[in-house]
Amino acid sequence: MGHQISRRTLLRTTSGIAVAGALGSALSACSGGTGAGSTTSDLTMIWWGSDDRHAAYKKALAAFQKKNSKIKIRETYSGYDGYFDKFNTNIAGGSAPDLLQMDTALVAQYARKGVLAPIDSYVGKSLDLTGFSKTLLAAGTVDGKLYGVPSGIGVNQLTVNRTGLEKLGLKLPDREWTWADLKKISQDVYKKSGGKIYGVDDGGGSTLQCFEVFAREKGETFFSDDGKKLGFTPATLQEWWEFWADMRKVNASPPPAITSAAHNDLTKNAVVIGKALFSFDSGIYGAGGSITDAQLDFLPTPQGDFSGAREGNFVNGGVLLSATKASKKVADSVKIMSFFAQDATAIKDMQLLRGIPPTEKARNLIASGLTPTDKLNMENADYISQRVGKATNALPAPVPPPQGADQIWDLLFQSNLAVAFGKKSIKGQLGEFFDQASGILGG
Amino acid sequence: MTTAKTDEVVEEQAAPSTPSDQRERDRMRRRLARRRGGGWWPYAFLAPWFIGLFGLTIYPMLDSLYLSFTNFDLLTPAQWVGMDNYNKMFTEDPVFWDSVHATLLYVVVSVPLKLALALGVAMLLNRDLKGIGLYRAAFYLPSLLGGAVAIAIVWRQVFGGDGLFNDFLAWFGIKGQDWISSPDTALYTLILLAVWQFGTPMVIFLAGLKQLPKDVYEAAAIDGASPVTRFFKITLPLLTPIVFFNVVLQIIDAFKTFTPAFVISNGSGGPLNSTMLYSLYLYKKGFTDLQMGYASALAWVLFLVIAGFTAVNFIASRYWVHYDD
Repeated sequence: MGHQISRRTLLRTTSGIAVAGALGSALSACSGGTGAGSTTSDLTMIWWGSDDRHAAYKKALAAFQKKNSKIKIRETYSGYDGYFDKFNTNIAGGSAPDLLQMDTALVAQYARKGVLAPIDSYVGKSLDLTGFSKTLLAAGTVDGKLYGVPSGIGVNQLTVNRTGLEKLGLKLPDREWTWADLKKISQDVYKKSGGKIYGVDDGGGSTLQCFEVFAREKGETFFSDDGKKLGFTPATLQEWWEFWADMRKVNASPPPAITSAAHNDLTKNAVVIGKALFSFDSGIYGAGGSITDAQLDFLPTPQGDFSGAREGNFVNGGVLLSATKASKKVADSVKIMSFFAQDATAIKDMQLLRGIPPTEKARNLIASGLTPTDKLNMENADYISQRVGKATNALPAPVPPPQGADQIWDLLFQSNLAVAFGKKSIKGQLGEFFDQASGILGG
Repeated sequence: MTTAKTDEVVEEQAAPSTPSDQRERDRMRRRLARRRGGGWWPYAFLAPWFIGLFGLTIYPMLDSLYLSFTNFDLLTPAQWVGMDNYNKMFTEDPVFWDSVHATLLYVVVSVPLKLALALGVAMLLNRDLKGIGLYRAAFYLPSLLGGAVAIAIVWRQVFGGDGLFNDFLAWFGIKGQDWISSPDTALYTLILLAVWQFGTPMVIFLAGLKQLPKDVYEAAAIDGASPVTRFFKITLPLLTPIVFFNVVLQIIDAFKTFTPAFVISNGSGGPLNSTMLYSLYLYKKGFTDLQMGYASALAWVLFLVIAGFTAVNFIASRYWVHYDD
């Protein structure tokens, strides 16, 4: 639930209806949203998410306004589709919202372009970040300045259909598992199901969920620290693609048509349609609950099984709350951020809807009210963050992705698909990938 | 207004032929002056149109022309980069060529099929049957729904791996595939959607068919011309102006197709850019990748290509379009 909570998950949770929905909300937002920076004294706040998250935000904000009656908040919310398109247009048109839910994957880009307000000067005064770890705050820190308050711990997890696994007489793998273990159990799934179910959805093009972890196990990052280059070598990517080509060959992973259909559409995810039991896409059980009826469980991304392998997992920041630079109400926005970070009612309202709560105190607050699956989710996330915390060989948490990162992720996905559909050889696609990637990051 | 105009015409005609006395001429001059004084009225009524033309069409176009020479990213001020965007497009952007390929294929396949179907159905509906109005409406219906997001979503379901189309194939023992997510077939589902929406050209064809002279057909029938001969020797030649009109409109429309590609591919243009129609790529560049300067350059290239195609159409039309006189 790292970046993908913020990006893929929410984008996909809603995507079925989102196209129609986003258009609708975009229209309604247009009519109401233009007054943001002008005469009205309302503070405008925008976020994306599922219906459950919308309801939770509204409830928490109502509680905030009870205590701060002077601050009037105008709320606008939608699915992920079109959210940033609209935000960009608003910024360009001079009608930026005051406070927004920000994507950890995009915060660097907006901060560097001067869209977001730095909020360091409020920390310890109106912004209470007690209990937030430094690694967690790194998710909102760009070039040494804080541009957003993380909503919770985000870690990469595999989502597992435990019911399905048990039906085939297979056991949930140990949390300390390796890529070879993943291959083995995925093959077992295919065999025991009589060729009806593949093991794990194709991770060859899955950036945030797994390739980044694999690269870090090799001691390489996804992006260089300055964000101007890729941080991994062609050899690493080649090994990665070869692993997944093999996975497809032995039917551990589904054929490309299934992978391709799931792109940007969570409802077509291999686990959701019953074609696989393991998924790197934690959106199946993301903010807003599960979209399958199966009992789910969670596992860390597998570990490297080669010599010198390092801890590849890392902790990220869920989504962020950020204020815009053009806003005249940054101080008020910061009060709201602080409220979501520390207030007991807000924490209880949000539950896991914006990721695993960021502080020990908050986690304890919600622990008793969680559903069984939420509990499993939180336990595994806890396990990963503790393991990462103890690891001596782990790389520092990744830098916020640079501008163009979206295009690189998409390129990785499409490249893996081109190989899987047999349109390109791994070697041929490798050259193209690095050529295009350097063009995107350099230009 | 109309009466005033008639007045004026009469007077203007009358003025030179009857140079009668001074009083008559003065009266006329006063009347004309009064009318000239009221001359701003028409412009007031036209103003909304002028504001629309300049404010919403011409100014944005010129602005986008300027932006196409900058690296404008929507969030920070634009910087002049000269021809960079255009150079990049043709020399180092493989996705641009993917989108050109997809769009040309889409235009070249969908337009002739759509027009052929439109003409065929128009001929079937050009009869005096009971309830013919109902049939006409039924065939036009898809075009009314056509641009809608909802239909594109339905399309995605119909041609998906577990969609209706594969259920249909299963009746004949054919095992389908996921048509939307295979790079070899995805674009053809879009083409099928376009062809299905043949209503607009059909209505135009129908109107054209109604104008054809009946006596020519009667004469041909007496001479023993078969229906096929009648179609190729009479109907089609007489209909060429209408065909031409439809060809021009449909090509322009096809080049601009956006909504179905956006919805069916979930905005990705995938799989493997096979449904990355030009307008979709332009949108992605501008609003998703924040390269509005580049997107503007793309838009101008599209504008020039459409203008080029239309010009070629008009030139070629001299050789195959027959007008009555």
